[in-house]
Amino acid sequence: MFSKKNLLIVNTSLLIASALFFASCGHGEAPKTDASTPAAVVKDTTSANEVPQTSYSLPSPLQIASIFKKSGLSFKDGLTSPVKDPARYTTNLNKSINLGVYSADLSYCVLNKQSQEAMRFMKLCRSLADNLGMGSVFDESNLSKRFEKNLGNEDSLAYIIAELQMVTDMYLDENDQQQITSIVFAGAWTESMYIGSKVYEKGKEKKLNAKLAEQMNILGSIINALKAVEKKDAAISTLVADMKSVKDIYDDLPSIKNNPDAANSDKPMSFTDEEVVTLTKKIDELRAKFINGL
Amino acid sequence: MKKIVLLSLIAVTVISAGFTTVQLMDGCDKRALTENCKKKLDDFKYDSQKYSKINYLDHDQKLEIEVPVFIGEKYRMIFNTSYLPKGIVISVYTKSKDSKKREAIYTTKNEAEGTKVYVFDAPHVRNMYVDYDVPTDASNPKLSGCVVFMVGYK
Repeated sequence: MFSKKNLLIVNTSLLIASALFFASCGHGEAPKTDASTPAAVVKDTTSANEVPQTSYSLPSPLQIASIFKKSGLSFKDGLTSPVKDPARYTTNLNKSINLGVYSADLSYCVLNKQSQEAMRFMKLCRSLADNLGMGSVFDESNLSKRFEKNLGNEDSLAYIIAELQMVTDMYLDENDQQQITSIVFAGAWTESMYIGSKVYEKGKEKKLNAKLAEQMNILGSIINALKAVEKKDAAISTLVADMKSVKDIYDDLPSIKNNPDAANSDKPMSFTDEEVVTLTKKIDELRAKFINGL
Repeated sequence: MKKIVLLSLIAVTVISAGFTTVQLMDGCDKRALTENCKKKLDDFKYDSQKYSKINYLDHDQKLEIEVPVFIGEKYRMIFNTSYLPKGIVISVYTKSKDSKKREAIYTTKNEAEGTKVYVFDAPHVRNMYVDYDVPTDASNPKLSGCVVFMVGYK
């Protein structure tokens, strides 16, 4: 059936394939998730120095929105991002930042039962995720479809968003793109602070003031998390500088300067109205820069 | 026609073997680790996760993860160490490793031997720092594995 030459090619290929297969068996223990199974032994080929001594586990945009919601943050029209065409964001940095902005808006809408707006932001998130090459996460476990089906059911939607966050984190981990997690969160945090400060301006709710102050505590972690991944994308340096410009304003507020241990205290912090205005102005500037893709 | 069949056979065989190799070269199945942690969340909502590669060196190491927390929130932490070839000690502190005044609020030292997945419901604290104490492995300094740490809240 085959000539000698062809048989030689087949034999050589099978030999190579077998060698590759057996080589893989050296590492090839089946996935172990059960506590009783032994762990896999992996020979590492990377430099030991690549493991950072300190890393950061930043919260999700949904948790930030949930904290604000518990403090009385109500829904106000016109506060979410007005940008309807995500195609205007051309760099990966701007796409990631605005994926965070839209994620914060999505969470804000879901927790305030704004179903149609939530659906709109879900689509915008999907569009930016597609653009970043990670749109497939929306199809995992039928997340997009389940979101549509559960419109109007706030609790279910919140769980679906939490699940979406998990598959996104998993996707970024698997693809060694953890830097996107920090960039997205920087965008989400800024948008949440923008919404929180605007709602505070109107109602002057004490609880909301305390939550705005508390949120400032994690800005240092965001900056450090971004610095830790700076080498993966040089453009992150500009974002670090932007976030640092907000922290400089915060560190200079009298409530913080005169009480340096406030961040570690169990007692809720608060700002004076003047301080909120100062901070809000800076957050406004940064948020405008983000949503305009500058 | 015979040539096409022959070449297709060769291509399929080589690609399949190569694919198997690529899939298994990285011994940590991040997805399986994450799915296992998720099951332990119960009624806590997923917040974040941190995948850490652990390289065993010729000296002890202390790796730290800073976890920002908020007043009034309840947190659950889940650590999956199923893919570690050698045990590490996981501890949770109220301050970073640079502080002399920090307090340990959890350590796996007190857990049953052989446990691979640890669940810790945190008390109300202002800050949390997760430390991985990685022992030395002088016999095989290039030994490595991974651990996934998940945070839930309610």
